[in-house]
Amino acid sequence: MAEIVAAALTAHAPLITGRPEVSRPDQRDRLHAGFHELRRRLAAARPDLLVLFVNDHLQNFAYNNLPAFCVGLAERYEAPSPGGAALMRLTPRTLRGRPDWAMALLEAGLATGIDFAYSYDIESWDEMSVPLHFLLPEGEIPVVTVYTNCAAPPLPAPRRCREIGAFVGDFIRARPGAERVALVATGGLSHWVGTPETGRINPQWDHWVLDQITRGDLDPLARLTWDEIERDGGNGGQEIRNWIGLLGAVPGWKGDVLAYEPVAEWITGCATVWVHP
Amino acid sequence: MIKVSYPLNRLLTAVARQHQMKESLSDEEMAGHDLSAAERAALRAGDIQALYELGANPYLIRRVFRRRFTI
Repeated sequence: MAEIVAAALTAHAPLITGRPEVSRPDQRDRLHAGFHELRRRLAAARPDLLVLFVNDHLQNFAYNNLPAFCVGLAERYEAPSPGGAALMRLTPRTLRGRPDWAMALLEAGLATGIDFAYSYDIESWDEMSVPLHFLLPEGEIPVVTVYTNCAAPPLPAPRRCREIGAFVGDFIRARPGAERVALVATGGLSHWVGTPETGRINPQWDHWVLDQITRGDLDPLARLTWDEIERDGGNGGQEIRNWIGLLGAVPGWKGDVLAYEPVAEWITGCATVWVHP
Repeated sequence: MIKVSYPLNRLLTAVARQHQMKESLSDEEMAGHDLSAAERAALRAGDIQALYELGANPYLIRRVFRRRFTI
């Protein structure tokens, strides 16, 4: 049977790679060390496939069509595209998708009441390019994407994100064959971006979120409302839906916080977390 | 209830997808969009607070009016 062999949570922000020099060196070093340790553990788990819990930023899904949850069926992902590469100061590259695997997930979902949308063509942005720059530098492992609407409210409830994640976890564990699957969720923690409070970070809320994950208690996170997250974590904090989805796939697993830094210059509370049984 | 202005977001999406950064939008750029007087005024002024309050998506505000932000 297939197996979930690794799980990781990270921040994403274009400035992490786009403007590394503006951050404080001590913060940057600790965060980079966290990414590198995640990469080491991920590689040691020898996954055949990465399933990514990520979100769009109105790059792909605009106000004429906004899926709550969308499975990517792309053959390949430009991560980053040449346009995004300039902004994020990364080398353009293409990652392989696994459309066969993603289609099986999509079909299994639709057959059992998980009404995913799907897309054959997704332009990835920092949600994939920045964390995978650190975690998958060789780009040798194919990826499957599960996009959750975190950026264009109204948004799916965190409780539902947990259920979607639980479905993905069950789907993986029921797959025939000795497939080794790693899960990666990106986004968060607190940040206010594009709002009148742009630049604000709330480390107190970030630590609260990380404490729940460290204890392996998903209930308090799954109970959060949009209003509570918006108040305490900002509009960028809504991206913890991706984390909640991943944690829903691995009930009882706990987080090991490798780094947490509220990086004012990148306007994001940045964390790297290893999740394990 | 969350305030969303479809006309504002439709216009800002179109501008953002052309990778254009603006200080403000002209009447010409707003032509053909079904915007309220308040929305037109906010776009003309590049008033990020007003745009937010009128229901523009903050990620789109950031992308189009990047130069209006101090950070």
